[in-house]
Amino acid sequence: MSLRIGRLAVTVLLILVAAAALVVPPAPAAEDVKIALVAPLSGRWARQGQLKKMGADMAIEEINSQGGIKALGGAKIVLREADAGDSVEKAVSAAQRVLTREKISAGIGSWLSSFTLGVTEVAERLQVPWLTLSYADSITERGFKYTFQTSPVSSVQAEQALELVTELAKKNNRPIKKAAIVGDNTAATVFFFKPLREKLLAAKGIELVVDEVWTPPLADATAIAQKLRATQPDIVFYGATNFPDSIQVLQKVKEFSVKAPIQGVGAWLVTPEYVKTLGKEMLDSIQTVVATHPMKGQEEIVKRFTQRTGEPFMTQDPLCTYGHVWLIKEAIEQAKSADPKAIRDALAKIDVTSGPAATSFYPNRIKFDERGRRVGATPLIVQWQGGEPFTVVPTAVATRPVAWHK
Amino acid sequence: MVVAELAQYVATGLLVGGVYALMSIGLALIFGVMRVVNFAQGDFMMLGMYLTYFYALAGVDPLLGALLTIPPFFVLGWIVHRGLLARVTGGGDPQRQMDAQLILTLGLSLVITNATTMILTPTPRGIRTAYATQAFTVGPILLNEARSYAFAMALVLAAALWLFLTRTDAGRALRAAADDPEAASYQGIDVRAMHGLAFGAGIALVAAAGGLLATYYPIEPSVAVNFIVLMFVAVVLGGLGSIPGAFVGGLVIGLVQSLTLLALPFQLQNTGVFIVFLLVLYLRPQGLFGRRARTV
Repeated sequence: MSLRIGRLAVTVLLILVAAAALVVPPAPAAEDVKIALVAPLSGRWARQGQLKKMGADMAIEEINSQGGIKALGGAKIVLREADAGDSVEKAVSAAQRVLTREKISAGIGSWLSSFTLGVTEVAERLQVPWLTLSYADSITERGFKYTFQTSPVSSVQAEQALELVTELAKKNNRPIKKAAIVGDNTAATVFFFKPLREKLLAAKGIELVVDEVWTPPLADATAIAQKLRATQPDIVFYGATNFPDSIQVLQKVKEFSVKAPIQGVGAWLVTPEYVKTLGKEMLDSIQTVVATHPMKGQEEIVKRFTQRTGEPFMTQDPLCTYGHVWLIKEAIEQAKSADPKAIRDALAKIDVTSGPAATSFYPNRIKFDERGRRVGATPLIVQWQGGEPFTVVPTAVATRPVAWHK
Repeated sequence: MVVAELAQYVATGLLVGGVYALMSIGLALIFGVMRVVNFAQGDFMMLGMYLTYFYALAGVDPLLGALLTIPPFFVLGWIVHRGLLARVTGGGDPQRQMDAQLILTLGLSLVITNATTMILTPTPRGIRTAYATQAFTVGPILLNEARSYAFAMALVLAAALWLFLTRTDAGRALRAAADDPEAASYQGIDVRAMHGLAFGAGIALVAAAGGLLATYYPIEPSVAVNFIVLMFVAVVLGGLGSIPGAFVGGLVIGLVQSLTLLALPFQLQNTGVFIVFLLVLYLRPQGLFGRRARTV
């Protein structure tokens, strides 16, 4: 009896083994590719981090729904976000944490140039390629191999912004003779103001009549408005990255009836909450120089973005991050590997002129020089018109004609 | 012209200082009565700003909204005291209690900030009022309307608190509980209830200050960090726990911040505040209203 049972058991076992051998083993599921987003998700710049995440999420959803990364057998991209908080120390430790906890193929961040300077040091040390929209010149002046800056640097932005406003003012018969510099001392702003203060304004024969820089937060803006009223500059170069500071300055500018046109630096000046807090009339014709902004031909992306997020319009932060994720995907396809070093090498050699990555930036080409700066990167000028910020310069990609301050 | 400019700086400083003063007296009241250093004070101010914002969405004028934050925040403060703080105050080893209080209020601050970020998102919000960008003209001086109203209301609320503490039985009991809890309890004063009253009132005052601030300052979950250090400086400057001291401390901070700009660049605005702070502590370690320190 026991012998029969034994035989039966052996037979069943053999059948099972044979059946198992006949079944084709499933292809190993492509491993997810993890990319990091280190951005302020709490603290005074949290809104910008939130906008960046919206852009990243949108790109990842698109890539994954279109079959993932083809070179890696359809591998999906997953985002690992880390909160950069409100200080360089927090940003650095967030980067450290997210990059050492698991294998990260590439990273994006961290909005504020001061944060990016710290975070890219961590990425360089751990040899993870890092894409940033931050403007400060110094980010790509340190000989780093893993940092890639898609934005035109602050000093270039200063030059182009000055060119543009002097030309516009001349056309409107209000030549610029006196200028004011008003802003905080975060890295991107510092690098924007520095060339203006040191050479650019003087080269154009423009006198600098107000030069006020503060460390955020600003307690009160009355003194600034008072100085602007007393000196009556023809243009105000403006860099208040912290929202409450900026609101205080703009409110005071109105209260003291300062009439000078405002030329900002950065996308913080064109977020939807400005309309809600100040009203569209107060914002009209305030303009800012940014790294990117929805351009002519990007209506479809903007529509998808506004529909999925409920935001009234799209700005630099989500658009740039959207482009960065697509660029990482592009680099992985070319590298045929999720290895950070291979992706870094692919990014160093990349030259794309079409697709979602390239069209997110102006001009529509992504190629980096040996420092990691995007070749030919040109800033855009965005202007508030009727409660919405539109790209107004360069005209080739403008969504509205530029209007000079009345 | 120079006199007019100076007058403008003084006026601006006092207006800014008025709201600092109101923020600080709540903190001073809590410290004076309970000996609790409340690190979450700024976060309750932030919640007061949000409540005023939601009142404004419902059509309530933010100045009235600021007053209407007082009852719910008094209750909230009382509940927080009963549920959390009462466990680490009012007896036991003072050193251990102090440690526990610090950790508790710091933790509370983190929880409130982050919960607000999660629930209300980090998107800044603002109450659009006409008076935020309008000014009363007094000769050559411009007095911002929103800040002037906020200043006036801060004075009224501080005066009301003073009257309550000096002219009512509950106020006298509160002061007795602050001066000598043991003797007060022998007199039949419920010290624990007095602590609840002080904490509730302290939170309500700072919430009202937040409401007033919201008439010209944007609201975001992290707004507290912009003010909490100044509140502490005001309280220490005035003499720890002294309510008139904290009020004057707040005014002094606003004034010094403003007048510093006459001599120093903007980047050093708060340097003036801290220099004055160090000077006061050096010359008068007990603070400006030191003789009455640790009393209310």
